Amino acid sequence: MSSTQFDNIYHGLDSSVGSERGDRCPPADDIKWAQWLRVARQYQLRVGVKDHQKHHFDGFAREDHDKLVTLLKNYFSVALETKEITFRGWNWGDTDFQANDLAFLVSDRVAFELPLQNVANSNIAGRTEVSLEFSGLTTSKSVKPQGDEMVEIRFHVPGVQTKLKSGSASDN
Amino acid sequence: GKKNEDKTWKKFQSYKGELALPPDVERLRVFVDRKAQTVILPINGFAVPFHINTIKNVSKNDEGDLTYLRINFQTPGQLAGKKEDTPFENPDATFVRSVSFRSPDGARFDNLQKQITDLKKEANKREQQRKQLAD
Repeated sequence: MSSTQFDNIYHGLDSSVGSERGDRCPPADDIKWAQWLRVARQYQLRVGVKDHQKHHFDGFAREDHDKLVTLLKNYFSVALETKEITFRGWNWGDTDFQANDLAFLVSDRVAFELPLQNVANSNIAGRTEVSLEFSGLTTSKSVKPQGDEMVEIRFHVPGVQTKLKSGSASDN
Repeated sequence: GKKNEDKTWKKFQSYKGELALPPDVERLRVFVDRKAQTVILPINGFAVPFHINTIKNVSKNDEGDLTYLRINFQTPGQLAGKKEDTPFENPDATFVRSVSFRSPDGARFDNLQKQITDLKKEANKREQQRKQLAD
């Protein structure tokens, strides 16, 4: 095995820090794919393992990218794919269901993803509005959520609406 | 002004790329980047910028020990009587309409509400000036 070790890495949204080695890392032969993307806590390594499970590791530095490419290639025979993230600041785009996540895309780039297993409640309010309520976005209940906790997001979905009545639909 | 110019969508953008993100996003807190005219929201570990032009207003309420902050966005069908202000490239897209956060730190949410409201006021003022100059 490699002696490479990355410190100050977060598993999922946990607020505690570990290292990308040992107990939290899946067995080598299980890794099917790997992705690299910019998140709030620097860069995320995302690995897919068997049974469509995946693990997220936040906190990698930009400079770690090339080391990870080599490591994943040499020891796991897996290519590190870069997932493009948008920073345009727009609130319109497309939603895309990707396995257990709902992704919001702006100009074909991911703005954010929502884990559907954490949706506590959903609601269709009016003809064009969908709300998703979240509980426990952090993975473990014993760990206090770091930062501000998102509890609800609402989408305006014109596609839900049946044809507008003729002419003025100015209010509401 | 000429009517055919009014309907054009004026393009805006928060950041050109990931390197322009302020380091503050690491704290997974709502962050106001005044320089970029942008509010950055922590959504499921992502740092998601929203340009002030996309934001409508902010509301806040206290429930017990927790404070809730809700950011409302501009979406089609809201701008009654102000059709020329449509800030959208594609009105048929899916829009984020609002995002709500919870925190035990009510004072910080107070401050965020004020910062976002001030940023919106500044943006509105600039837009009015731009229109006056265009006339």
